[in-house]
Amino acid sequence: MAGDGEPISEAEALEQLRQTDDQSRQYYAAWWLGRMRSRHPEAVPLLLAALRQRQPRDVGAGVEHNAVARNAARALGKIADGRAVSELLVVLDDDDDGLREAAARSLGELRATAAVPLLTRRLASGPDVAGAHRSDSPRLQEPCEAMLEALGTIGVAEPEILAVIKPFTGHGRPLVRSAACRALLQLTGETAWADELLQLLQHPQLQVRRAALMDLGAVGWRPALVPIQRTLAENSLKLIALRGLVEHGNGRGADSDDEAVLMAMDALL
Amino acid sequence: MTAASGDSRLAADRIRAFEQAGSAEELVVATRRLIACDDRLATVPQLVQVLGFNNPGAAVAAVDGLIALGPAAVGPLLANLDAHNYGARAWAVRALAGIGDTRGLDVLEDALATDVGPSVRRAAARGLGTLRLETLAEAERQQVRERCLGALEGGRGDGEWVVRYAVAVGLEGLALPLPRAHPHRDRAEASLEQLQDPEREDTLVVQLRAGVALKRLNNQ
Repeated sequence: MAGDGEPISEAEALEQLRQTDDQSRQYYAAWWLGRMRSRHPEAVPLLLAALRQRQPRDVGAGVEHNAVARNAARALGKIADGRAVSELLVVLDDDDDGLREAAARSLGELRATAAVPLLTRRLASGPDVAGAHRSDSPRLQEPCEAMLEALGTIGVAEPEILAVIKPFTGHGRPLVRSAACRALLQLTGETAWADELLQLLQHPQLQVRRAALMDLGAVGWRPALVPIQRTLAENSLKLIALRGLVEHGNGRGADSDDEAVLMAMDALL
Repeated sequence: MTAASGDSRLAADRIRAFEQAGSAEELVVATRRLIACDDRLATVPQLVQVLGFNNPGAAVAAVDGLIALGPAAVGPLLANLDAHNYGARAWAVRALAGIGDTRGLDVLEDALATDVGPSVRRAAARGLGTLRLETLAEAERQQVRERCLGALEGGRGDGEWVVRYAVAVGLEGLALPLPRAHPHRDRAEASLEQLQDPEREDTLVVQLRAGVALKRLNNQ
């Protein structure tokens, strides 16, 4: 299957990741291996080595190194090899919040229950601390969306974990609220959280409607079929959301046949 | 919008209101009003223009309007394809796919094989299954269908799941009107079997859609 970037072979990608002189080639190679979900035996060891290339957060230096490390962290999640978990757990405590974000997403994709205590600890201070705005950038103290989504995907529904997530449903940013509702819906199946996401699907900002679409798709919330069809957003995103409804069907109507959702997808092509 | 244009169904008034629309919401309303005016043919240039505005609500309305106009919209659509705006091209290809006029075949074939935008390729794949062939002479019909089938067979190897999904939909549309054991139908079924096979297709929703297509073909 062809990729989007410049066509290189798996052997070339591995070679470009192995060399350390040209970081832009390492950056591309790490992305490529993840995108192709490489099963080559050298892929995971080389990506782990690239992840260890990260440097302490230091404006001016280390930026390039961490760009490679971030792509390596993402690729390790896509390749979904359990050997990556222990190193990604270390990265989840890195000072670079971009790296923490990539690690959280990948640990989610890896369904790494070992990440749950650390994720909940980093979020435990709640929307006012972990979710507070930074003074130096538009980002939050913690990459809350990625961490909340990871908790939902990993799927440990203990009361103390739910208690950490719930306050984020009142966060000032709708994208964080959406991520929190998505996680709670995945963990509890309670309709109230779906209702919140359906509300966000009506939000005046397109960016928020897009996030709610992706979140309903990730949960596979079948009762959202008609609201997804009606919301004002790109067909491409609606198609991704509806694919989620088919592939991980949850909620009322989940056991009905898939054909109604497939026909809704046909109409969006 | 002025009060006068709000009451008039005259194309000229509605075109004027369209040109004065200031916000994204006003543009959606003005576009919907264009397609419900007294002389829809006169609004084709504006409807084609809307496709390039990056306003999905208005574009959906414009595509619906262009499809309703049918063959009369094909010339202006082909003449205004925008090589630099793939959002606009995706909407134009969708309109051509919905109209099903064989004058769009070159564009659909080329779009599925070479376009950089997955949204353009998926619209083309769907359209290649819905061209209206009934008015053509038998020989020409075979020839057009042969080209559609070849293009869809090529699209089976696309890197994007949504394009392969649309290829399954296109193959179903192409094969359903054909009698059993027609060679084109056999080829379409063989392609659908590949798309249904977990060994050869890694996206579950594509496998399921190909399965529905095969079920429909077998139940006929």
